[in-house]
Amino acid sequence: MNTKNILKFCVIGSVGVATLGLTLVFNASPAVAHGERSQEPFLRMRTAQWYDTRWNPGKTAVNDEAMLSGKMHIAEDWPRAVVRPTRTFINVGSPSSVFTRLSSKVNGTPMFTSGPMELGGDYEYVIKLRARLPGHHHIHPMLAVNGAGPIAGPGGWMDITGNHKDFTNPIKLLVGGTVDTETAGLAQGIFWHILWGGLGFLWIGWFMVRPMFLIRARVLAQEGGDELMNDPADRVAAYVMLGVCFTIIAIGFFVTDSQYPYTVPLQAGAPLIKPTHLQSDLTMKVLAADYDVPGRALRMTLTVTNNGETPLRIGEFTTAGIRFLNKVGVANNMDPNYPAEIMALDGLNMEDDSPILPGETKDIKIDSRDSLWEFQRLMDLVHDPEQRFGGLVMSWDDSGNRHINSISGPVIPVFTRAQG
Amino acid sequence: MALFRTAEIIKASKLPPEGVKLSRMIDAIYFIPIAYFGVFATFHMHFDLLAGDWDFWIDWKDRQFWVTVTPIVEVMYPGAIMYYFWTFYRQPFGATLSITGLLVGKWITIVLAWYWWANFPANFVMPATMVSSALILDCTLLLTRSWMLTAIFGVWAFAMMFNPSNYPLFAYSHQPVVVDGQLLSLADYMGFTFVRTGTPEYIRIIEVGSLRTFGGHTVWISAFFSAFISMLMFTIWWQVGHFVGQSFFWVKGKRGVRYRKNDIMIVGTDEYALRHGTLPGVPAPVLEGKS
Repeated sequence: MNTKNILKFCVIGSVGVATLGLTLVFNASPAVAHGERSQEPFLRMRTAQWYDTRWNPGKTAVNDEAMLSGKMHIAEDWPRAVVRPTRTFINVGSPSSVFTRLSSKVNGTPMFTSGPMELGGDYEYVIKLRARLPGHHHIHPMLAVNGAGPIAGPGGWMDITGNHKDFTNPIKLLVGGTVDTETAGLAQGIFWHILWGGLGFLWIGWFMVRPMFLIRARVLAQEGGDELMNDPADRVAAYVMLGVCFTIIAIGFFVTDSQYPYTVPLQAGAPLIKPTHLQSDLTMKVLAADYDVPGRALRMTLTVTNNGETPLRIGEFTTAGIRFLNKVGVANNMDPNYPAEIMALDGLNMEDDSPILPGETKDIKIDSRDSLWEFQRLMDLVHDPEQRFGGLVMSWDDSGNRHINSISGPVIPVFTRAQG
Repeated sequence: MALFRTAEIIKASKLPPEGVKLSRMIDAIYFIPIAYFGVFATFHMHFDLLAGDWDFWIDWKDRQFWVTVTPIVEVMYPGAIMYYFWTFYRQPFGATLSITGLLVGKWITIVLAWYWWANFPANFVMPATMVSSALILDCTLLLTRSWMLTAIFGVWAFAMMFNPSNYPLFAYSHQPVVVDGQLLSLADYMGFTFVRTGTPEYIRIIEVGSLRTFGGHTVWISAFFSAFISMLMFTIWWQVGHFVGQSFFWVKGKRGVRYRKNDIMIVGTDEYALRHGTLPGVPAPVLEGKS
């Protein structure tokens, strides 16, 4: 290699190092979301249908308690491509453990371990949290389904102020006393690692202080080399080390056993959670639906029958945690703390928005139109293996009573304005 | 006979003093930056791929799978490394080197990845230790000087000592707690309280299977089972060490045909020079008792 080539490589190398440095300086921003938009639309629209999600309060200090709560409907029209929810876990989607989870209840039943959920079932979850890491965090409820992976619910921002060093998470032991989950067992763990690690390095060091490789290889290649390297000092050291190991193990085991006389194995039961079901005086059937790609709209024609005794007005269509509302929905179900970026306040339009009268059956054309379809990457529906949609339609009577229907059906993409 | 044979060994190597000094430099360069870091990096990756979650999380360390899986996986690499160091150098620290190397890698991960980057407390991701088991394995090889006896007795002790040597580290996490009317171990609660978005509870494998039904002595039954599989694994990986650590070189014969020669350990020795000749200008050595 001549001088010119060496110079070339130096220049290329310098550019590479500089690029890496600049990338780290300018582009290593912290991740703030969990890729929920990258999940396929059919997964988000037709598995867990989230509603009434609350992040309360939005601002906390370290050690304060907060609540993540809401409801989810397990869609009847569960996709064939997704494993059925026979083993599920209600989880929190957060960037690391920014909150610790103190309690998690689904329909009033504690959910420490995973359990089955029923298609068509409705589940209310309440997750009690304690603020741990200061910052501006994007928090999701999440349903993890064994075999299908995590299904993220809507994400909302929660702020934590204070200092992580002040955080404690005490828990009472059944046998008396309290431990802090941040530090329990840490000192003894480090002690035993140092002790055994020290002995390990001592053993290696015993052989490092003498010729290790080349000399021994040369001797070993000779006749009688093996016998020569059977050093009596090493044999004594090995006996001593064996004795030390067995003695320390025995002392450690029996002392610890007497220190913790009452222990239990890891618990792995499955909670049996009884589902509730959506209540509605309306019955709905999807007659037709298309997805207007250039117009960013899902257009549905529903046959609706009111079996109740009061007139009802449709006010909201929610799918994949994204809410499309009209004036009725805003008047009855407007949560000012719900993240604005996943809510379209005038995103629901109907050709005929007159109330559905008791006993009446009519076809209603509903149009949920907003750029959210594209921004939240639900327009990727056209690339899914199943061209079907799903969601919840909410209606209200004049007294403010809510009626919820789960709908689903095939959807036809409309690719051009001319086609539409 | 003297207790230490170092002087005799150096003399038998027939290296001049400069050669001895140079060999120590090679020892340092080869051992620390190459052998040690190479082993800890590759073994760490190997272990995390096969048994990582059992070692990462405190709520995975059950009486059955943790006790079974960890020794089986941790004995593999030491088997191959022990073959290499014992066969070529008669150095009985292959297992200790592997396991301490693994722990160096693990602690780097705990501090930089789990604690600093992902903000989990170190007690929640405390790894198990098998250094005591490794020391027992190395001592067995040194004393028996037989890989077969090491596989039978050393590896058996290697696996059986796993639980008692780790009990002082993790017994605290099996203390009972009651949360929302449910009995949990402290480890279960820690797994629940520290939110892991990508690790839902059902991924844990807690006492699945029938090993636990033998009179409730799940740990010892699992350890026994693990010991037998570990023996098999050690034997297989010792042979892996033999396969990848074969010493041979290609020699060009008088008729120009290249053939494989398996005694590379004598390269550079006088015997080698006598058998294969010396470079032009270098006189042939004269060995005692040979002419």
